[in-house]
Amino acid sequence: MRVWYLPLAGLLLLGGCQEKLTTPGDCPALCPGGQLQVFDEVLNPIVGADSTFTGYVKPPAAPALLVSNGLRGYEERAVLRFPARPDSVSVRDTLRAYAIDSVTMAFNLVARDTNTTGLQLLVYRLPRFIDSTSSYAQLDPAFVPENLISAVPIPDTLNAGGVRAVLLGADLARVALSPADSGVLALGIRLDAPTFTGVRLGASAAGNGGVYVTYATLDVPDTGTARLRSFPLVATFNSSLPAVPEVVDSTLLTVGGSPASRSMIRFEVPARIRDSATVVRATLELTPVAPITGLPTDPALLIARGVIADLGAKSPVQSNFGVGLDTIPEGTSGTVDVEIVRMLQQVWLGTGRPPALVLSLTPELEAASFSRPVFYSTRAADPAVRPRLRISYVPSFPFENP
Amino acid sequence: MGRVLLVVLLAVIPGLAWSQSSQFGVRGLGLPGRELGTHALGSGGAFGLFDSESSLNPAAVAAVQTLTSVFTASQAFRTVENPAGTASTRDTRFPHLMVAGPLRNTGLAFGFSYSGYTDRDFSIASTNTAELRGIPVLVTDSFSSRGGLSDLRVAVAYRLQDRWTFGGGLHLITGSNRLETRRTFDDPSYLRSQQRAEIAYGGAGLSGGIIRQMGTRFAMAALARWDGRVEVERDSTRAGTVDLPFTFGLGLRWHPDRHLDLAAQGLARTWSAANSDLIEQGGVGAENTLEVAIGGEFTPDLERPYRRPLRFGARYGVLPFPLIPGTHPREYGVSVGSGMRFAQQRAGIDLALEHVWRSEGVYSERGFVLTVGVSVRP
Repeated sequence: MRVWYLPLAGLLLLGGCQEKLTTPGDCPALCPGGQLQVFDEVLNPIVGADSTFTGYVKPPAAPALLVSNGLRGYEERAVLRFPARPDSVSVRDTLRAYAIDSVTMAFNLVARDTNTTGLQLLVYRLPRFIDSTSSYAQLDPAFVPENLISAVPIPDTLNAGGVRAVLLGADLARVALSPADSGVLALGIRLDAPTFTGVRLGASAAGNGGVYVTYATLDVPDTGTARLRSFPLVATFNSSLPAVPEVVDSTLLTVGGSPASRSMIRFEVPARIRDSATVVRATLELTPVAPITGLPTDPALLIARGVIADLGAKSPVQSNFGVGLDTIPEGTSGTVDVEIVRMLQQVWLGTGRPPALVLSLTPELEAASFSRPVFYSTRAADPAVRPRLRISYVPSFPFENP
Repeated sequence: MGRVLLVVLLAVIPGLAWSQSSQFGVRGLGLPGRELGTHALGSGGAFGLFDSESSLNPAAVAAVQTLTSVFTASQAFRTVENPAGTASTRDTRFPHLMVAGPLRNTGLAFGFSYSGYTDRDFSIASTNTAELRGIPVLVTDSFSSRGGLSDLRVAVAYRLQDRWTFGGGLHLITGSNRLETRRTFDDPSYLRSQQRAEIAYGGAGLSGGIIRQMGTRFAMAALARWDGRVEVERDSTRAGTVDLPFTFGLGLRWHPDRHLDLAAQGLARTWSAANSDLIEQGGVGAENTLEVAIGGEFTPDLERPYRRPLRFGARYGVLPFPLIPGTHPREYGVSVGSGMRFAQQRAGIDLALEHVWRSEGVYSERGFVLTVGVSVRP
């Protein structure tokens, strides 16, 4: 074939078949339809249609226990109740008594103010009948020196992790269980610190609650040997008890607290934005009633979720996508901005879902944070402090037809 | 040595890689196609009205000796300059496809072809600073279009006494533009904006042509074409119509020597018919165009005329859709080409290389268009 070079040339030509089409844009000559423009608009919520609902997460179901020595102006204590510890063990079909060698109580530190040192947990023996109906005032008489089991120091270098107390010898009498106790141990925890502060401890709802382990020696005469056994018990009930119950003001928007509150805000999105605009930014602006309190270095995380259907307090929320998040440090007093553009794009617009959102703390902080932001609602007399949604949008682009 | 040089040239050209899809296709219906086969492109388009493998003149179909199919591919490399900067980009097109053949013992020939009527492939990017919520934010805008209009032609030609050839064609003009505009923000608080639209076109036209052979050395061709109007739909909703131009063409062919064939042609299109429609629909407008071309073909081996002929030509034209109202975009090109038939002349490959310049005020571009045509005669 003497024309070998032509097919080869064709192959080389095809080898160069790559597209690179982008040129510098010089408007208006090279911008058919003009340039995109971004407009800002403030949407106000429907007046009177924003509400706070309380009771979503109650203290016994909280993912963390709050213990403070007056951080929010009053003391908060944690209480725990463990399941019954058997007083004997079955070996070779015979129940045999055991002798306790030691007891360990372990607690999981979830968060603390890392700038405060000299913390220790004071662990008290409580009556075994504590439950979700127990109040701070009812149990306060039990927090006396006679019932103090142990003071568990929190190392200054420990930001999160386990702390524990080990009881040996005569100290075991403080956790001795009499027949009247039915093998049930209940504990109360206070915080001792040189300044007002608090700690968050792991809770059974999060799987990192307090653990109480008994180490015992079991004498089995038939074999002539003593066997070591341990009885690990995880708290089956735990809760936080504030000295002062929280009060929710229905004219404000409260988020967090214990039991947890959530706030619902409803909007009306104009058709020109809902139907044809592209929202590129949406900022929910909330004005706190007072500087937001909380544990320094342990900020609250505010979450805004769109609702799938508007059923008031029981509105199902869209948690998988379109979620707005904002971190609120302790002491925040200015406007809190929550970016919720993905909620508008993915939940509100083009889906037929109601333009409403639910504000709460993130699930790991509900009823488990010292922060309890309270914002002005649409009922505020001053319009400047009412919640509002500031959106930036691009209108439908006027493509030239030909 | 010449073959090696050709291969090396073709290998190197993609590496030089100037260019892009033309910025002069941004406005109106885009950059007009030329409806020419590779054979005619190699000579600047001067033989377009006589070329049986082009879709310009339906009368030229009569020159097809046997059933022939032609496939054309082109790769363009250009450097684009405008006040916003310079870019080197490139594109690949398949601008022409044709099947033609004679009807035995009738003097008739038929042809079916697809060719690009206008090309509106482009992407434009720019960076600006926009003040959003009182804060300057860097934004990057891009606007892109994919598509264009295509010309589907059915042509019939009749040769009368080897002197006259008449032809007629029915054209379906159809196509679409997929437009997309996008803005991204340097500030991550802002999400990207992206909007799309699809514009569809549909229309029909007629063409008639004639070729007159005058003696053994001269020939003349003429063309008249009416493209009617295209209906425009945006996202499946009727958006209006755009009048398409009349086309008038005249070509001359001279055979001064046994080795040399020369031709010249002129094409005038009344694109100003689309002016009011385009302005009404938000565009800049359109103006009439004129394209003239001159070229030749040198045949070194008369016993084997299809073996490496040398084609050459030049052209000048006005483009119909200005970037700025009142200005006149212009186009110049010089080209060379060659070809080869093999397999007992049942197959062939033609090559054409054109250097193109386009300009309109401060907007300009230059580059190369390399075209390969493959023909099969089963």
